[in-house]
Amino acid sequence: MPLVLPDIDWLTLAPLLVLLSTASLAALYALYNRSSKAVALLALLGLAVAAIFNLQLFVASRAGELRSSFGLRYLADQGALAFNFVILLGAALAILISYDYLKRAELEQPEYYPLMLLSASGAMVMAAAGDLIILLLGLEIMSLAVYVLSAWRQQARESAEAGMKYFLLGAFASAFLIYGIALIYGATGFFSYPQIVAGLLAEGFEQIFLATLGGIMILAGLGFKVALVPFHQWAPDVYTGAPTPVTAFMSVVVKTAAFAALLRIFAFIYPELGVLAVQSLVVLIALTLIVGNFTALVQRGIKRMLAYSAVAHAGYLALAVLAAGNLGMRAAIWYLTAYTLMNAGAFAVLTLLSDRNDHGDDLERFAGLARSRPYLAAAMTVFLLSLAGIPLLAGFVGKILVFSAAIEAGYVSLTVIAIITSVVAMVYYLRPVMYMYFREPEYEPLQTNSRSTHIAIGIAVFGTVLLGIFPGWWYSLLDLGQSLLAGL
Amino acid sequence: MVATEYYVALSAIIFAIGAVGVLTRRSAIMIFLSVELMLNAANLALVAFARQWAAAGAAVALSGQAAVFIILAIAAAEVAVGLGILVAIFRYRSSTDVDTLHEVRL
Repeated sequence: MPLVLPDIDWLTLAPLLVLLSTASLAALYALYNRSSKAVALLALLGLAVAAIFNLQLFVASRAGELRSSFGLRYLADQGALAFNFVILLGAALAILISYDYLKRAELEQPEYYPLMLLSASGAMVMAAAGDLIILLLGLEIMSLAVYVLSAWRQQARESAEAGMKYFLLGAFASAFLIYGIALIYGATGFFSYPQIVAGLLAEGFEQIFLATLGGIMILAGLGFKVALVPFHQWAPDVYTGAPTPVTAFMSVVVKTAAFAALLRIFAFIYPELGVLAVQSLVVLIALTLIVGNFTALVQRGIKRMLAYSAVAHAGYLALAVLAAGNLGMRAAIWYLTAYTLMNAGAFAVLTLLSDRNDHGDDLERFAGLARSRPYLAAAMTVFLLSLAGIPLLAGFVGKILVFSAAIEAGYVSLTVIAIITSVVAMVYYLRPVMYMYFREPEYEPLQTNSRSTHIAIGIAVFGTVLLGIFPGWWYSLLDLGQSLLAGL
Repeated sequence: MVATEYYVALSAIIFAIGAVGVLTRRSAIMIFLSVELMLNAANLALVAFARQWAAAGAAVALSGQAAVFIILAIAAAEVAVGLGILVAIFRYRSSTDVDTLHEVRL
């Protein structure tokens, strides 16, 4: 058998390789110099360079140039590239939040930043995957780094236990994903999406049961990463136990990557599987919307409330997955951009309000904040209102796009559930705002300040408001055209 | 030649044993071992399917076998990270019983 060299388009891999080499360089540098300032700056630089390469690819793909590597297994179509922007933005915000936080919490180790870059690179692999094995590799690269990051606060039991819990359940979930992949291979004989679809549509295909079962197991594995009910059990504990910047990173970057992967396989493979595979996602979404929103209602701690709100948002995003295809993909990317800004922003504010062990995030601590720290209170209000979906802020437009995509795809009753639960959600988002503006302070607020966190909050507020008032420009850029795989 | 169905049935049984183990065992190490059992069940299924697909051409069969190696490597990476976290917990608590992870509320 002749040896066939894989076709590698280095430009498509450039953003990824930049992140990998920056991470390696930063880790090596950290061996000799323990200054985390230099490493953090290097990490931000790496993200910026990766964003430039990504922009170049994005412009090229808008001009109609379709690129991929490894025979359509690593795709650089507009969907993947737009997701890369969201991932890079989320990682940059997380690093900005982390810098002073780690110093204050005495968790400063320069290896923190390379791990975050590695995790982001895994996320980009997931977004670009056109093959189940590549998807699996991306998922593991991303997750292994996050397992370590969530156990970063070793002295505190919550954090180490959060890391352990996330790790054990994460490994359990990826076992389901892997078994699902094995079943799909058994049914069709292939791992790459176009070949799987060709196999499913082939004359005399009999293994539909095996393939559907595999599809459901893959859905369970990815559903765990995005915290769909009933695979969400880990989320509140891990989100609460992990250091707050890591929570911010998990809730935006990991979620974006898993949704990117889910959107692509749902657009291509799932329509050809048995109807059971799609139906099971419908059930998961309904459960997620109801359980996520109603459990968030009864939380007293803001961090825990935001954890359940992240679960609820996974439900809204999964609605867009159901409407997979161009419209759903656009809506999902738009929503994830908005979500990254407002959620990372909310966690950034939280790092400035809670003490060095992440305690003191109760609702009572927010009382009277508008008087003692007016700017912080205003920023938090913007984020919470945007998460609630108040008009003129980014979250509102995101919800409208997702709901209309879902209605277009014919899931009307599910959309009605989503609208009702988002009205319920107003209650728990508005409660902290009420406390901040209409209550007398009960505690002396912490006067923590941090320049890098302020920059992150500034970017997030600006982005949330800008996207809310002028939603069109980013949406029109997301006109994804044909995906690389679509014509096959 | 043993039919593929038997191998797949065996792998499904191993996978189920692993899943039950994860849900019922107390010790983090045993849970971890159960996860490894599930991964190896997937590997067994992949190898059995690869043998079945051998008729469809070497490339199809080899891709399944290559996937097994990738999954082995992933499992090894998971062990490295998982045991690291486990050691970190053990150092502060001298127990790996997950029922005592009560700091994390439900």
